[in-house]
Amino acid sequence: MIRFSRASVTYPGGVHALRELDLEIGAGEMVVVVGLSGAGKSTLIRAINGLVPLTEGEVTVEGRSVTRATPRELREIRSRIGMIFQTFNLVKRTTVLNNVLMGRLHATPTWRALLSRYRPEDVEIAMQALERVGIVDKAYVRASNLSGGQQQRVGIARALAQEPRIILADEPVASLDPPTSHVVMRDLQRINRELGITTIVNLHFLDLARVYGERIVGLRGGRLVYDGTGAQADERVFREIYGRSLTADDVLEASPAA
Amino acid sequence: MTAAAATPVRSARPAKPRPSLAVPLGVLGFLVLTYWAASEEFGIGFDLPAILGDLTRGAGIIGEILRPDWTFLPATVEPMLETLQMAIIASVIGCATALPVSFIASRVTTPGVAAYFVGRGILNVIRALPDLLYAMIFVAAVSIGPLAGILALVFFNLGVVAKLLSETVDGVDQGPMEAARAAGANRALTIRTGVFPQILPNYVAYSLYVFELNVRASTVIGIVGAGGIGNVLNAQMKFFAYERVGVVIVELFVLVFVIELISIQLRRRLV
Ligand SMILES: Nc1ncnc2c1ncn2[C@@H]1O[C@H](COP(=O)(O)OP(=O)(O)OP(=O)(O)O)[C@@H](O)[C@H]1O
Ligand SMILES: [Mg+2]
Repeated sequence: MIRFSRASVTYPGGVHALRELDLEIGAGEMVVVVGLSGAGKSTLIRAINGLVPLTEGEVTVEGRSVTRATPRELREIRSRIGMIFQTFNLVKRTTVLNNVLMGRLHATPTWRALLSRYRPEDVEIAMQALERVGIVDKAYVRASNLSGGQQQRVGIARALAQEPRIILADEPVASLDPPTSHVVMRDLQRINRELGITTIVNLHFLDLARVYGERIVGLRGGRLVYDGTGAQADERVFREIYGRSLTADDVLEASPAA
Repeated sequence: MTAAAATPVRSARPAKPRPSLAVPLGVLGFLVLTYWAASEEFGIGFDLPAILGDLTRGAGIIGEILRPDWTFLPATVEPMLETLQMAIIASVIGCATALPVSFIASRVTTPGVAAYFVGRGILNVIRALPDLLYAMIFVAAVSIGPLAGILALVFFNLGVVAKLLSETVDGVDQGPMEAARAAGANRALTIRTGVFPQILPNYVAYSLYVFELNVRASTVIGIVGAGGIGNVLNAQMKFFAYERVGVVIVELFVLVFVIELISIQLRRRLV
């Protein structure tokens, strides 16, 4: 349902962040993307919802071309793709509920959203999304008053409120401590399994990638260098993806998972 | 672990950057400019002792102002209310217009490069003209009266608020905008949900500030006949009726003070 065909991204300045990538991700998969800093992980994720346009090749989502979409079509494609960010990207001054309602913008008439008069059924969807990540009691609390882990769950609820077919998560646990990282990753895993939402997660840490990645995609210098199951991805594979031996910085827990 | 702590890996210390010349040059430039402005030969001939001598001449006037003639109070009520009404109307129109303009004139939210430069350019022109000049223009255009004053104040407010607000928008956290865009929101809704909540406290503060400026500016623009208490003030000054001028000054002082109290309350509630 997500297909990259010879997809390349060259940023202004000449950095080749993706090089002729061919990749297919099926409906309902949980894919973890790994690679060194600068390998192109964020670029790959952002190409799926068109936040980063391709310079060559094509990306299609559910059979529709992201690359050739008009602005209106692009908004429509995006409405079916939830996104979760490393730094949460919440409006900190406003309530948790208002943040989650951002996920309902695509279904809300402009005048309603401008006046912040969301339909009761949209508020209900937002509340259910908060229930799913276990923080509905914080609905009317200011987002800035939440802990990092709670803020990321608001981010997940915002993505869920879109009722998406796909969720993209760009290093969702990089700003969190190890126990909280596992809580958030388990939330994503549960959402993938229970709701069948295709989930693509960028991760820095190998042990997390191996635990949660049913399928692991490895990038190096913008090229696909590994595509296989998490179980197959042993230390040798990761050394190849990283192009160097592994260090304690590559794992979340103090002792290396290998 | 402990061995590593005892002999930490250290890269070579960087050389201390050379001290920048910007600060001493800036101070020097400032001193030269001040001398140029104040000196006898190039500037206005600023002479402190002479000014202090001149000030005593004003003592008589100040003495009269300090003994306000309160029987004049009833005659000032209506123009004072007119000033207040002008200030309210001008603030509402000016600040409402400033909001969309500031989004166009900010790099973060502008719909395009062309719109950005046009917006900035217009704002700079609007702000380049002082409120008194606007009053003169609109008195000429729509004749003497409060309408001219309101129009002058609207432009004055638009210039101030849109400038301050567009700079506030420049500095917002762009993460929420990205989130809204990723969720399929159009430009208007991205700004409404991702930017507006972040700038709301500033917007309220700027609006209250220009409202207060309006009350004060109305005394100046009244001089050219743009309505309100300024007309009264101007007339009494012409007759050297400083006891009456004193009444107006006290009233203005109280009014500005009350506005300040109210705006402090409003801002506290919003932060
Ligand atoms: N907007 C941009 N303009 C120019 N170059 C960019 C831009 N964004 C990313 N790059 C470059 O493209 C390359 C890939 O970046 P990308 O952010 O996709 O890597 P990443 O794998 O997500 O890295 P990290 O783990 O550090 O987040 C890097 O060399 C980066 O410097
Ligand atoms: Mg990245």
